[in-house]
Amino acid sequence: MATNPMHQFQVNRIGPKIEISGIDLSFTNASLFMVISATFVTLLLLLGTREKKLIPSKVQLVSEMLYNFIAKMISDTAGKKAKPYFPFIFSLFIFILFCNMVGMLPYSFTVTSHIIVTLTFAIFIFVGVTILGFIIHGFKYLKIFVPSGVPIVLLPIITVIEIISYLSRPVSLSVRLFANMMAGHTMLKVFGGFVISLGLIGGWLPLSFSVALTGLEILVAFLQAYVFAILTCIYLNDALNLHH
Amino acid sequence: MSDLEDFKTRLKIAKSKLQNEKSEKKGIFLGNAFKLGTELIAAVIVGTIIGFILDNWFGTKPILIIIFFLFGAAAGITNVFRAAKRMQKQED
Repeated sequence: MATNPMHQFQVNRIGPKIEISGIDLSFTNASLFMVISATFVTLLLLLGTREKKLIPSKVQLVSEMLYNFIAKMISDTAGKKAKPYFPFIFSLFIFILFCNMVGMLPYSFTVTSHIIVTLTFAIFIFVGVTILGFIIHGFKYLKIFVPSGVPIVLLPIITVIEIISYLSRPVSLSVRLFANMMAGHTMLKVFGGFVISLGLIGGWLPLSFSVALTGLEILVAFLQAYVFAILTCIYLNDALNLHH
Repeated sequence: MSDLEDFKTRLKIAKSKLQNEKSEKKGIFLGNAFKLGTELIAAVIVGTIIGFILDNWFGTKPILIIIFFLFGAAAGITNVFRAAKRMQKQED
């Protein structure tokens, strides 16, 4: 059972069963690890901003670097107009990053390897950005489905393609994060299983693979959080500055 | 004295960051590569699902799903094209 590579993705209930109008709202290990990630984030940022020294301590340095990293990313991709949305993108990035990183610890649970979690993020962003676009531009926002300079004959086809392309945003956003996390963790577990079954004689090769894959997975954990945040910025940019 | 020590570690981090800039960029390229694949697949999936739903509504079973699959593929290629264009802009 412990060698089953998919066992690590099972959601188990912790504590009593809570059911409100037919919806199971029990506290699970997924919720537990979300709470742990959120606690880590809060601790890091609280400690980092406790004493604001001119020559920063290491914790302060890390939190300032995180701030700079996201602030630069937003101004590079979405311009000055996106400044008010900094808190949203910062919390999104840092929460996904910590969920991914906490998932890399042994015996932990990777929250982002479940599509329901990533799809919820993505749909929230998608709906939010669409509403924002309509608030800022009114019905002119529908222009993003009608690129300029297209012959009238082609217009119906192009519009359908644009609409499908727009609707595919949340799907690609969520599937990318979920698939990367799940595939990586499954692979780690499979190689770990090989180490056990090949024993002392042949187990060294998969063990070295496991070590290399762990390094790769940490890179992927960071990259996927980064890609998620930067794509959110790009979608925000499309809604804020209407030009296609 | 401890402030000086802090400054030393900070200098060290800044120096190593300068060296690491290249490998960081490599990582971003890897992220871009991951991006393109899903971009293509997602549009095809969404197009096919739309075709499936519309087919169920109008009762024209196989026709709309084929048409919207093709539309989805076209949208996917548009997505990839745009993502690639964006990457080129970032590089400049």
